[in-house]
Amino acid sequence: MRYWRKRHEGLDLEAELRAGRPEPASEFVHRLEARVRNDGSRFRAGSLRVAFVGALTAVMLLAVASVGGVGYASSAAEDAAVSVKRIVTPNDVITVLKRSPAIDQYKKPKAKKVKKAKKAKKQGKGTKGRVRARTRPPFTG
Amino acid sequence: MLRRDPLADPAPLIKRVYAYAAYRLGDGADAEDATSETFERAVKYRKSYDPRKGEPVAWLLGIAKRCIDGGWSKAEFPTQDVDSVDTTDLEEETLRRLMISRAVAALDERDRELIALRYGADLTAREIAELLGARTNAIEVALHRALGRLRGILGVDETEPVRKRGASR
Repeated sequence: MRYWRKRHEGLDLEAELRAGRPEPASEFVHRLEARVRNDGSRFRAGSLRVAFVGALTAVMLLAVASVGGVGYASSAAEDAAVSVKRIVTPNDVITVLKRSPAIDQYKKPKAKKVKKAKKAKKQGKGTKGRVRARTRPPFTG
Repeated sequence: MLRRDPLADPAPLIKRVYAYAAYRLGDGADAEDATSETFERAVKYRKSYDPRKGEPVAWLLGIAKRCIDGGWSKAEFPTQDVDSVDTTDLEEETLRRLMISRAVAALDERDRELIALRYGADLTAREIAELLGARTNAIEVALHRALGRLRGILGVDETEPVRKRGASR
C-alpha cells in the first residue's frame, strides 16, 4: 500500500479498473468455447431441420395447388368417405322401387281406421263406473 | 422462424462473464469454475433466452450472479499481500493490478458486485439497474459511493485530475 500511495496519487480509478479487468487463460476460453459450440451446433441443427421441413411443405402445397390438386384431393376424400359410409351403415331393408300390377293388386291393405271403434270403446269404458241418468222407467213388458 | 442463439459467439461472452466472476471471487480457479457453471446452465436453458428482455451478456450475467450467490459467495477471496512483494521482480502494471484486486476484495459484497458488473462485465448503469431490479439513478449513486470507498482503501485522492468523458455512461 505504501508503494501504491507513493506513486499513484490522483489516479483515474475507473480507467484502471477497466484496464486491469481480469482475463481468463486462453486455454480455458478455447475449451469452454468448444464445449458451447458443440452443444450449439445441435441446437442450430434442430431449428434448421424444423425450418427446412416447413419450407418443403409450403413448396409442395404451392406446387399441388397450382395444378388443382387441392380440389382433386378433397373430392377423392369425399368419395372415400361415401364408400366407407356405405360399407359401415347396415342395409338390410330392401326397397323395391319398381312398380308392377302385382304390387297394385296385392299391395298391403291400408290400415283400418280404428278411430271410431276406439271412441266407442272409450265411451263404453267411460260409462262402466258411472250411474247412467234415467229419462224414463225401463220397459218391463 | 429461426430462434436467435444467444451463445452463437461465445468467446467475448466468456471473457466478460469471467471478468465479472473474477472481480467477485478473485482471479483464478473459482472464477473459472463459476464461469463454466454459468455456461453449462446457459447451454441447458438456452431456449429460455428472450431477446426482448435484453442482450445475451445480461442474461448470462444474471445466471452468473445466481451461481455465485448460491455457491461461491462465502468463498475466500484469494489476495496477496502486496507490501510483501518485491517490487523489483514485478512490473509496475502487474503490481497495480494486484493492488486493485486487493482493494476490490476489501469492499463489501454489494460494492464488489457493482464494481464487477460495471468494470468487469462492462455493463452500463442502466443495464445493471435492469439486472438488479433497481433504478438507474440508485445504481449510479451506489457505484459512485463504491468507487469512493475503493479510493479510500487505496489511499487515492478523491479529486481526480482527469476524468475521461463518458466514463460512467
